[in-house]
This record gives sequence, C-alpha cells and structure tokens, in this order.
Amino acid sequence: MSTMPVPSVGTGMPEIQLSNVEMRYRTGNTEVLALHQVSMDIAKGEFVSLLGPSGCGKTTLLRLMADLLEPTTGSVTVAGESAREARLARKYGIVFQSPVLYDWRKVRHNVALPLEMMKVPKKERDARAMELLELVGLQSFADKYPWQLSGGMQQRAAIARALAMEPEILLMDEPFSALDEFSRERLNEELLSIWSKVQNTIVFVTHSIPESIFMSDRVFVLSPHPGRLSAVVDIPLPRPRTPEMRNSPEFFELIAKIRDSFEGV
Amino acid sequence: MRNRFVPVLVWIVAILVVWEAGSWALLNLAQVPLAQSKLPYVHAILTTSVQYSGTLLKEGSATFGNAAIGFVIGAAAGVLLAILMSVSRWIERLTFPYAVASQMIPILGLAPIIYGIVRDEYISRIIISGYITFFPVALNMLRGLRSVEPSALELMYSYAAKPWSIYWKLRFPAALPSLFSGLKIAAPLAVTGAILVELMGAQHGIGVIMLRNLYYGPSHVYMFWSTVVVGALLGILSYWVISLIERIIAPWQPEFRTRGGEQ
Repeated sequence: MSTMPVPSVGTGMPEIQLSNVEMRYRTGNTEVLALHQVSMDIAKGEFVSLLGPSGCGKTTLLRLMADLLEPTTGSVTVAGESAREARLARKYGIVFQSPVLYDWRKVRHNVALPLEMMKVPKKERDARAMELLELVGLQSFADKYPWQLSGGMQQRAAIARALAMEPEILLMDEPFSALDEFSRERLNEELLSIWSKVQNTIVFVTHSIPESIFMSDRVFVLSPHPGRLSAVVDIPLPRPRTPEMRNSPEFFELIAKIRDSFEGV
Repeated sequence: MRNRFVPVLVWIVAILVVWEAGSWALLNLAQVPLAQSKLPYVHAILTTSVQYSGTLLKEGSATFGNAAIGFVIGAAAGVLLAILMSVSRWIERLTFPYAVASQMIPILGLAPIIYGIVRDEYISRIIISGYITFFPVALNMLRGLRSVEPSALELMYSYAAKPWSIYWKLRFPAALPSLFSGLKIAAPLAVTGAILVELMGAQHGIGVIMLRNLYYGPSHVYMFWSTVVVGALLGILSYWVISLIERIIAPWQPEFRTRGGEQ
C-alpha cells in the first residue's frame, strides 16, 4: 500500500478522460443510443461517483473505462493511455455488482488471484493476500470458501482482490447495491477508510443519492434516454467523512441540489 | 451418519423380504412353470454367488478392467474434443454432427463389426467402452466450459489474462461439476458396453459366463442370476468410484456443503 503515489488533485493530466463518447447498440432492427456525447475528466486521487437511474448508462461508462466495451465514437483515456493499453498494463482493479468470487478457491486464494496472473511468487502472494484481508477485516476468514461468507463479507473480499495489484484506479460498479441499508452504510465508511490508506482514484457507480454524496469528491449526474451527463456536483464536505455528516444540513442541501439537477433535465 | 444409512438398510431388507416371499409364492402357491427362472430365491442366488465367488470375481474384474481402460481413454478423448469445440465454433460445427451421428449406431451392431476388425476381445471391449463414454463426457464438458458467468470472464479480461490461463484458472474448474455428471452417466454404460461385447463371443468376462449359464437352462438359473447381480454391482461400483473422485477433486459444489454458509 505504501507504494501508492501521492494524489495530486487538480494538477497535470487527468487520470481518466472521456471526450465526446457516443455509444450505440443494435438490438434487432432498432438502434439504441446508450450514451450521447459524454465528456468528463477525473483527476488522480479523486473519488467520483457516477449517479443515475437505471438506463442512464452509468455502468456502460464504467465498462468503457475498463475496456470491457468500446465506444462507438469518441475516446477514452485511462492513466495517460488508451483504455485498452491501461487494461493490458493492469492499471485498474474492478469490483462488480456481485462479488464474482471463484467458488473453488478459498477466500485468500481468491484475493491472490490477480497476483497469480502477474506471476508474483507464492510466498509473496500469500503474505500480500493476508495483508489485504486484514485491510478489509477478513483475516480470520482467509481459509473459508466464498459461500461460507455473508454477502457483505464476500463483497469486502472482492474489494481486497481488486486492490491486490495496487492499481492506480479502482472501478466499482454498484458494489453494495445488493446489501441491506445497514451493511451498505458500514461498508461505505470502511471503503473510505481503505481509500484514505490506499489513496488511488476511485470511480464509483451507484443509484443512491446519499451514497454518492457521502463517498465522493464529485458526483457525475447522468440522465437516461439517451444516457447523458446532466450535471457535475462538487461535494465540499470535509474529509474524513463521518456517519454524523449524513444528518447535517449541508448533506440534505446536496441531496436537494442533486434532485433538482434531475428535474431540470 | 446413522440417520442416513438406517432408512437405506431398512429399504434393502424390505425389498429382499418381498422378493423372497414373491419367489416362494410363485413356486408354491401359483405353481408357475419355471418359477425359479422368473424369480429365483434370493438366498439361493447368494449361496451360488459365494460358492462361485472366485470365478465371478475373476471374470468380473476382467470385464471391469477393460471397461475402465476404455472409459479413461473415452473420457480423455471427450474432454479433448470438448476443449477444441469450446475454443473454435468452426471445429464444433465440423465435428459435432458426427459425434451425434456416432451415437445413433446401435452398439449391438457395432460390437461385432469392431470385433471383426480387431479380432481381439480385450481391445474390442476397450474400444466399445471408450466409444460409449466419449459422447456424454464431451457433451457435458462442453456445456461446463461454456457455463462460466460473463462477469467471471470479465474479471479475467481485467487482468489481461492469456487465453490458456483463462482455461486453467476459470473454465476448467468451472466445468468440473458438469464433467463429473457426464462421467457418472458414462461409467455404468461403459461397463454395460463391455458386457455386451462379451456376449458376442469372448473367452473371458462376466458376460461370457452370463451367456453360458443362460444357455444351460433352468439348472443354471442361480448362476445366471449371480452374473446379472455381479454385472449390476460392477456398474454401481463404477458410479461410486467416480462420485468418490468428484468429492476429492471438486468438493466445493453446493451438494457437498454439509454446513450452510452464513447467508
């Protein structure tokens, strides 16, 4: 973790840059416009959320950054390279909506999977996996199988796995949406505390307004049909964020502000 | 453990008692001609089995040994074809119709043809067992290799994984449950296939003494039934062996989870 670069918000090249991204699908005879002219800059070390209702293309945007999709037109730059190059250079870690842990691997071997792909020696891998499990508070579950863990624990293991390569960027696709409200809020706080140690760039997809506010430096608000960027809202709440902030007047003002930006569309 | 085995034991004993009673009724009450050929006494079959256990064991292991060799070869070929088909749709389109067509040929007709060509009962048994094994294994393995969740694959892409490591670390382990269901279907069939070949005129094997005792008629009825029982036991044994291997190699599957998770 100590090798992570110090964030330099607002200076130099953006960590992730999308310019005039257009995304069209063809389903049968009809063409669907999934994303219309989306441009955005995300700075190094920034925590941003992509917020919007279903169908707004927020997951599509994340998948473009991950090079799991290619834009119809426009360009996606990640860590100064094309999205493809960034993926091949393993510049990002990804967390999906479901944990996607491999059933046949113990938790620590799931966490060590990316290190195996990088041909890290076994001893180092094991030590690193335990370190990561400690970071997410799962050290005593290292030798369990994924199905022996609760949903929240599985997702924490998935986060540990995504951090294993010490990625500059962490892409998270609604990672806590399958959890109950209580687990979700606790994991939000845990993720922020992990982020404060790791200090990488996080792109966080969510459909929850309070979650996006609590987590982010900036919230990109997206609207559906066609998916487009309708507002960028700065979140001036100080860090570290505390659970009490959720009840502060500023927090409610921000909720109202984001709601308005939806209605303004 | 006790709870699981007691009902099974009760069930088996009940069947044997009903069988024995039925046999007695057929012979003494209904006085059906050739009653013992239709439903012989269980105790008589058991006595004969024990009396000729040496022969039954020797012939049974000849059959089982050949079936096992054929099974292993057929399973390996099935797995290999499944991998090739999963790698390339082109190979699938080229080979799959023939694999299906091969299963349309009746084994009863194929066995003498194979025997006529190779002129060796051992090799014939191995070939037929392998031939029967091949298809269910290939089909189930292919389905297993394709059963991988899209997001599990995307995770691999995010690691810029090479195709072979996607196979090694994801597709193969994910395919194991399907592979084993194919193997469990194929194993008893391979034994049956080997016995079938023996009926075509071999010197050794459980099928040979089965046929001989059938020809000798009512006087050999208990021995005939003994061979049928041994044949069935060989099939059960093959299934049991595969299940055991599955538990060792792929123990993470839901049906083996004795104590539930904390979900």
